[in-house]
This record gives sequence, structure tokens and C-alpha cells, in this order.
Amino acid sequence: MRIGKIHIILISISIFCCIGFTMIFNMPNSPTKVRLKTTQKTYEAGDNIIIDFERDTTLAAQLFLKSSYGSTMITSSTGEFVVPDYFSRKKGRLDYYLVQEGECLYQGVIDIEAKSKTKIQLETYVGPPSIVAGGEDYTMHVVVPSDIYDNPIADSTKIWLKHQFLGLEKEYEEVTKDLISWKNIFSYSKKGKLLISSQIAEIHSKEFTVEIYPSLAQNFKIYSFREHEYADGNQVTTFTSDVIKDSFGNIVSDGTMVNFVIKNSEGSLLTTQGTTVNGIVTAKLLHPDHADSWEISAFIDGIAESEILEITFDGVLDDFEVSFDMYQREIVVGPLTSFMGQIIPDGAIVKLEIYTNNELIETKVKTSFEGRVKFVLEEGFYPDGEYDFRIKSMGIAKWFKNRVLQ
Amino acid sequence: MMRMNRNIYRSLVILSFLGVVIIALFGISQVLAYLGSGADRSSMLHVALNKEKVYVPKVIWKDTINPGRPIEEQTILDIEKDYLNAWYVRNVAYQNNELKAIDDYYTASAMQNIESTIAANVSNNLSIHSTTVAHNISLDFYSADGQLAVITDSGVKAFQHIYQQNELLFQTEDITNYQVLLLLEDGYWRIRHLVKKENDEMITPQISNGFAKVVDNKIYVKDKEYQLKGINYYPQKTPWDMFGENFDIEVIGQDFDIIHDAGLNTIRVFVPYEAFGKAKVDPEKLEKLKLLLDTALSKEIMVVVTLFDFYGDYSVLDWTLTHRHAEQIISVFKDHKAILAWDVKNEPNLDFESRGKENVTGWLKEMIAQIKQYDPNHLITIGWSDMKSASILQNEVDLVSFHYYLDIDMFSNSFEELQKQIDKPMVLQEFGLSSNKGFWSPFGPSETTQAEYHEQFQTLIKQYNVHFLSWTLYDFENVPSSVVGRLPWRKHKQKHFGFINASGEKKKAFKHISN
Repeated sequence: MRIGKIHIILISISIFCCIGFTMIFNMPNSPTKVRLKTTQKTYEAGDNIIIDFERDTTLAAQLFLKSSYGSTMITSSTGEFVVPDYFSRKKGRLDYYLVQEGECLYQGVIDIEAKSKTKIQLETYVGPPSIVAGGEDYTMHVVVPSDIYDNPIADSTKIWLKHQFLGLEKEYEEVTKDLISWKNIFSYSKKGKLLISSQIAEIHSKEFTVEIYPSLAQNFKIYSFREHEYADGNQVTTFTSDVIKDSFGNIVSDGTMVNFVIKNSEGSLLTTQGTTVNGIVTAKLLHPDHADSWEISAFIDGIAESEILEITFDGVLDDFEVSFDMYQREIVVGPLTSFMGQIIPDGAIVKLEIYTNNELIETKVKTSFEGRVKFVLEEGFYPDGEYDFRIKSMGIAKWFKNRVLQ
Repeated sequence: MMRMNRNIYRSLVILSFLGVVIIALFGISQVLAYLGSGADRSSMLHVALNKEKVYVPKVIWKDTINPGRPIEEQTILDIEKDYLNAWYVRNVAYQNNELKAIDDYYTASAMQNIESTIAANVSNNLSIHSTTVAHNISLDFYSADGQLAVITDSGVKAFQHIYQQNELLFQTEDITNYQVLLLLEDGYWRIRHLVKKENDEMITPQISNGFAKVVDNKIYVKDKEYQLKGINYYPQKTPWDMFGENFDIEVIGQDFDIIHDAGLNTIRVFVPYEAFGKAKVDPEKLEKLKLLLDTALSKEIMVVVTLFDFYGDYSVLDWTLTHRHAEQIISVFKDHKAILAWDVKNEPNLDFESRGKENVTGWLKEMIAQIKQYDPNHLITIGWSDMKSASILQNEVDLVSFHYYLDIDMFSNSFEELQKQIDKPMVLQEFGLSSNKGFWSPFGPSETTQAEYHEQFQTLIKQYNVHFLSWTLYDFENVPSSVVGRLPWRKHKQKHFGFINASGEKKKAFKHISN
């Protein structure tokens, strides 16, 4: 009997304990159990992504989604959360948080890859758009391939980067890395158009063009051409060059500026310039109006220069007539004649220097008309008295002393 | 009578005429003023956006070695600026659900992704307040023509507060990597592709040099147990403007002598956020703070530095500015031997109602992490204004600080209750009584009452062996309105908490300044 009592007490204690434990286990405020039903972890962009939980659906819960470009919160009436297309179409890691009354019940991630079997867009950047020949300069061909949802495609995708140049066609197999694929294309020794394109699987890009310009010009020779060798101040001397080329034999680009520097016998520098057409430059300069000799050199500034060319000009006259009409206060120079005795073409310069008491008081400059120049010494400016005159034209100078104005 | 009426009538007519004229003139002037107040023409040039930095997360360029071509210093700066602006305009866009300036920093096709998400958020009444506080950038590729760059931004620590119809639904914190393709268009580095990836940035916590630490509820400084006996300190002439133009280290040094001679070993000072230059800390102010700390060290006084005084924004987009403020102050003093603790903010719980508790505690929590990153050597606390709030973030802080201005007889009960919840050293960081008996408070406490109060409190302090900092050394002659408002009786009260009166004489309470 006594043992029985002890048993009853022990049993009742153990039953009590069991009930107690069960009550603790069934405490209503134990955390809501949530289990992820969705097992797929990786999707392709554009897939229909459903995140499904096993949970108490009577309680309202929301799913917070964080994607590459932003975040949002979605709700569901059924317990299944459908990731909206503006997120399911974007490549990258998608974080999701199951939220109930401000508390996060479940946190997970899925990875969305770029769509694999899709029309790929080959966004291409080529630069610089022009390079110089010779193999040192290069242009860079960068391709940013993306799928139909504008996601950069997966790394290590095979891509062919191609170019064509003067009958030469090359293609390189590369793989995408860091969202892009790229290749440097070095210039060839010839100038011309470099055509670039790319290909992934069956998809081809557009054509892109890079201009390969000739490299730096080499030194060159210059020539002169003139109608005659007289210093008539009227005809034009033309300077030309041979065909200017770079070290690879490419004719320099049209429009290359060439500066001609001419040193005359006085040591003054005259300049003229021209631009090349088909590698040949042409520049022009008026003949001098007095006997002279020129040393001509031409420069492509900082790049190349020509050999020195020398030419000389002969004077056209030895003397000229001057008649004074001191009553009329007129001085007539001429006729000025040229090398064949012909009247010099209009526009020859005649200078009159007027001195009084050995002091230069004025220089008058006029150009010839029909071989003559007439200077008038106005009364108001030149009072009566003794004057000296010096007349210069076509490199000849003559003194006329002690002429009296009346 | 008739004549009188006529006069009244006349004057009314004249007055109403004058009134109409005045109103008409006023109206015209307002219209003219409005027409003259159009947008500044310079806004067309986009220069305003770059005027003041509004988004300054910590950016580290890990490396710029890339297979494309070497990058120029200037381009690094340009990319960083535009990339951060891209984050900023996107954060603003998701907060306000507007696409302002997004087109400047995202290419047309990248922008569509933001547009569609914002459209969905608008229809769901969602507003997402977010910020990023750390970026570690490495350059993957920079093209030969300098028009295209690919960067990997790793360890991007982001915070997001999600609101639905102005109610906080949820907040998250995460660390992610991004790979970004940028194109130089119209002078802007614009985001063309953005791919979120798994974080691979290891964040290694800074290791303390063991200068100040807490072991078993006790504070140790240089391995000696430290019992905090202290006072909140402002110089008498410049309360709440300690580091202003009238900063005088001589006066402060003399006050430190008084404090030290009174048997105290610690002071608490305040670093005002705006006066210190916000995100761009004024070096002159830092120099003054250094002088103060050096003087304290020479007088054997330790300092609790309360940061972010008068700061009250807490909005997620403002966080990075406060982080730079903290970085510039804290990294300078991380090895200073006079500092005992950084007090993140004075009485932040008073901002719970106006700014939202989650905003404030979120800001505090991240700020503590930021401070630890720049200075693992000193302790961290928060100066809660009451015991009720003291347990908030107790796992994050090293010391639990609270203020007590309630009935002294209730202290024991409340304190014992608090002791049960907290297993960190506790600092009674502010307490005191204003001897403000006078015109504005005829029945207020006298100096004798104040002395009795401190005597009684010191007994309690001894009994519970609690660390203390009383309020405050001096009675003040002027209290700025920004502290307690404009009401004269409130200002008057705040002027008389001192142990030393306005004319420099020790008040009766001075005897009980310490135990």
C-alpha cells in the first residue's frame, strides 16, 4: 500500500511535469514557424520567380525585395510571392526578407543570371576613332553584350572580335569578363580604313570604322617654278614639294600644313604656306621688285623639313627718267621699262624722299600707272626753297640735289 | 447731427479709399517680387548640384590597376563624384518617388529600371529611405579613349527604412557588392549597368590598445579600476558655446584646478555638431578641443566627450554627413589619454517623438559602429535623459549613462529596478537641482535645499557605488534660447544649477560636490 502511494505521487508528479512541459512547448508567443518551400536558388532573367513559404497565412506578411537598381515591398493573398517582372528581369543577386509586423521572419537570396538563349545585343564602343599607321598606336574595341532584358551577359561567354584592313581579315576569340569583352587593335603600316565588328554565337554586331592616318612625315624636297627670273614685283613664284610620305611610304594626309620660310639677301624672313594635296604642297609668293637671292626651306612644324632651295632674281631696269617741273611743283618718274623694254605693269612702287637742309622731311610712296608716277609737291606743305630728292624704284635709287621750288 | 454723420461718412470713404490703395500697392509689389524671384539662371549649368557635398559615405579606392589603361587622378575624382551622386539621386528618388536628376547619372536604358520600380512603389504608397555608408572601389577596366570604366564596389553597407503611407514597415541593413559599368556622356560618368553581387569584403574590427575597458561591470583605465566622480562642465562665461570666439584655455585650466581640488576626476563636455562645421570639421575648433584635452590631461582629469550636441536630423540621407563629422573628430583623438568615453548624443530619447524612435536608435547604433571603427580604444556611451530609456542599445555601448532630475526619494527604487536589467557599468551622467528661488520661482529650492539635495544624492551614490557626473559647476548669467527655449522662468531655472554662483563664490552645495 505504502509503495502504491509513493507510486501514485511519483506518477502524478511526472504527469504534472509532462503537462507543464507541453504547456511550455505550446506557448502561444513562440516564434511563428516559417519554412521556405521554394528550392530553386538560381534563375534566369525573365523566368517567372515565385517565392513560396510554409507559414501561417492568416497573418498578413509582406516580402521586401532588394535588387540591383532598387527595392520594393510586395504582398500576397495566397502565401506565394510572385517577384514582379521589373525585378525578375534584372540580373544580379535578389535579397528577400519576409516581413510580418516589422519583424523579419525569413531572409534569403536568389541569384538571377542573364538570359542565356536570347537575342544578344552587342553594344560596341570603339575609340579612339582615328589612329596613326606604324603599329605603335592602337584603338580599343570594347563590346558590352547584353541580353533582351538589357542585362550584361554571363562572364566567360565566348565572343569573336574581328577586324578587316586592306584585304586582311582577322578574328580573335575572347571571353567576356567584368561585363565586357575587349581587344586592342594596333595600327598597320599602311593607312586606310580599319573595319571592326564582333560576334557572339550567331549574332553579329554592326560595322565600326577606325581611320588609320599616315604616320609622321619624313623630310622632303622642294622645287620652285617661275615664269622668268626677273625681279619685276609682278609675277608669282610657285613652290612645290615632291610627294611627302611617312616612314612607311604612306602619302601624308591631305591638308597637312607646310610652312615655307624664305631668307632674302638682306637677311629678312618671308613666309608663305600651303597644304598638301596627294602629298604635294603648293605655295606662292610674289617676285621681289629688286634683284635678290632667296634661300627657301619648308617645314611641317615639329615633324619634318625640306632641303634648302636657292633662287636668284635679276633686276629689270638699270635706270629711269625723272623730269622736274618746279614751277608746277611736279616730279614725274618714268617711263619705267621692264626687261624687254616694255612698259612695266601697273603697280610698281616708286618712293620719293624729300630732304631739306640734309634732313628727311617726308617719304611719298606711289605705284606706277602706265609706266609713270607723278608726285605733286603742294604749295601749302612745301614752302619755296631748296630741296634734295631721292627717288627709288625697282632696286634703283637716284639723287637729285639742290632743286629750288618756286 | 446730420453734419456729424456726413463727416463720419466722408472719413469712412477716405479711409476705405486709402485702404484699397494700400492693398492694391501691396498686391502689385508682391506680384513684382514674385516675378523677380525666378530660378537662378546658374541652375541651368548644373553647378548647384556640386556646390556642397550632401552625400559623403566613406569611399576607399582599393586599387586602380586595370588591363585597359592607367587612370588619371582627375578621372578617379570625377568617377567617384559622379558615382556617389548616382547613389544620392537614387536614394532621393526612392524616398520622394521622383526621378529628379536620375537622368544625369544613369543612361536612358539604366534609368528605365529605376522608373519601373518607382512606379510600383508609388502605386503601393511605399517610400524607401536609404543610404550607403561605405564603398570600397576597385577599378576593373578603363578604356583607352577614357570614355568607359568598369568598377567593382565591394562591402557596400546600406541601410533602408521602408515606409508605407508614412508608417515605418521595416528596416534592413546589408552589405553587398556591386559591379558597375560607367560611360562618360555629356561630361557625366553615367551608370550603364549595375549588377548586385554577393559581398566578399571582409570587415575586420579595429583592435583596442586596452587603454580604457570594461571588465565585470567595472571600468579600467590603463589597467587600474576607475571610479568616475565628475561634473558636467561649461566655462561660466560661455555656457553652450564652449569652443566659440571667447574660448579661453586659461579660464578652463583654472576651472580644472577647482574641479580637481574638489576631489573630482572627470568632466563631461559637449561638441556642438553645427558649430564644429558639420561634415567638414573646422580645424580651429579641433585645435581648441585638443587644447582642452591636453590641459585636462595635465590636471589629471578625464573627459567624457559628448558629440552631436544640438543635432536633430537623424534622417537616413543625413547619416553620411554625421559619419564624416565623427570620423574627423574621433580619428584625431583616438590615442588621447585624457578621453575616457565618447558620449554619442545627449538625451537622444527626447527626439523619439519628433523624429521617430527607429530613426534615432538606428542612427545611434550605426554611429557607435562608426566610432568603434575609428577609435577602438575609448569607451562609448549614450546620455539618455531618463532611466526608462537607459536599456536601449545596452549591448552596443560600454557604459550605460542616464540623467536623473526627478524626485530624489524615488531614485533608489528606480535605480534598483534598472540594475536588474543592465549588466554594464552605469553612469549617473546628469543630476542636480537649481537653486532658483526668486521672482520667477517664488517657491523654488533655495541654496540650502540644493546643498541638502546634493548631500543626500552623494549618500545614495556611495550606497550604490554608481559613477556620477553632476550638473554643473557654475551658475550661468546667460542661457541661450536654443537650450531650454525662450520662456524666462525656464531660462532662470537653468541658470542656477551650479555649485559656484555667478559672482564666483562657492555655494553651500559645493561641500557635497563629491564624496
